[in-house]
Amino acid sequence: MKKNKIKIISLVLILAAVSACTPVKPWERGNLALSQMALDADGQEAAFRQHTFYSKESASGGYGGHGGGCGCN
Amino acid sequence: MSLINRLSLAALALPGIVAEDAYAGRVDETFSTDFQYAHYEESNDRMEVDVFNLTAVAPIGKNFTASLDLVRDTMSGASPVLNVKDGQGNVQQFLSSASITDERDALNASLSYAFDDVDLSIGGGVSDENDYFSGHVNAGVSWALNKKLTTLNLTGSVAFDEITATGRPEINETKTSQKYLLGVTQILNKDSLIQSNMTFAYHNGYLSDPYKRVYIEDTATQVNDARPGNKFQWAWLTRYVHHFKAANKAALHADYRLYIDDWGVDAHTVELSWFQPIADGWQIVPRFRYYTQDKADFYQATFTSSNLGAIHSSDYRLAGFGSIGAGIKLTKSFLMSGFVKEVKLQTAFDYNDRKASYQIGGDNSGSFDDYSFYMVTASINARF
Repeated sequence: MKKNKIKIISLVLILAAVSACTPVKPWERGNLALSQMALDADGQEAAFRQHTFYSKESASGGYGGHGGGCGCN
Repeated sequence: MSLINRLSLAALALPGIVAEDAYAGRVDETFSTDFQYAHYEESNDRMEVDVFNLTAVAPIGKNFTASLDLVRDTMSGASPVLNVKDGQGNVQQFLSSASITDERDALNASLSYAFDDVDLSIGGGVSDENDYFSGHVNAGVSWALNKKLTTLNLTGSVAFDEITATGRPEINETKTSQKYLLGVTQILNKDSLIQSNMTFAYHNGYLSDPYKRVYIEDTATQVNDARPGNKFQWAWLTRYVHHFKAANKAALHADYRLYIDDWGVDAHTVELSWFQPIADGWQIVPRFRYYTQDKADFYQATFTSSNLGAIHSSDYRLAGFGSIGAGIKLTKSFLMSGFVKEVKLQTAFDYNDRKASYQIGGDNSGSFDDYSFYMVTASINARF
């Protein structure tokens, strides 16, 4: 039941994303190229935050990044 | 070359329009060095950590990019060991003495090669501390298609860890981890993009925490933490970014992550950030984070001899709880025309409050292990 729900939500999200797409020519991508629009604008800070939350919470993943260490304390 | 192609190239030559920035998986075309100092500190004189991080990225020839990343963590303070139930039935958390100190050094290196629409990367690294060693290798491919409106990402990594424990010479264990990421980044229109990543991780070996103990109420004794020998984790992260021209080109970043593992933990994470450019290269970023998780199947605050079982843990990270965080980040960018093209200064402060009562759902064990922490970062980034 839970798996079905996840499948349905995935499908709806993918359809919504695809249908929302409009052709964007390369010269129309100026806004997307702004630094504040970057998904990973500050890699070092992102790595520090992910390492902290990974050490203090059960959940991890989704973001990129490799390696780690104990994160025990 | 068609007129359209020539116009595209001409448009890309305009300042502020960099094609490689407009889709994921781009190759850095400049040398850059970043240095960051970060401080993490918990309430009630628990752990504090100082982190120094140096990163250098360099293009090699036309197609290669190499990067090197060095990290040093210095940790000190007290850490929770076990919970005890007192005569009134109240659970109390006991910490180690405040004399824990450790240092972690990590080195990561990567090399990527860019074809027209495909980036290949390989990397590896080590992380070493007194009682823990981890080494990993990783590889990834990033493929831009659909006129670079869509980017597919696939990465895989495997890590080999060696675990020992101060004060427990019998602990000499290993753990292997495999992690895979499958992701897609889609430009939706000229003002927004979305990314959706799924990661699958499988860990095998010693997954217990050698410093954690569990308390058995009826015998008033304690035994070591004991977790299953394997763990499967699944995470699905969706990130949406939207540009607001009218708000001085501000950007909203909204992330949601669903997490499920086979230890019984389901978790939800929501993060919102508002990137607000002000003027003269100044930018301010207020941000918010909410996290909630269910407890692991084998977690209990304390045990009895009849419900102890072979697998048991009282680790506060396997409990049911929620966490609310808020922070603010300030950046200032200096554009230059000499040898150094850009210098960026960044600083941020984040506060996180972790409470059992913030959990969605109700399988927490009470407020005895609530705590808070803050994080401060300061960094300087230079592009040549």
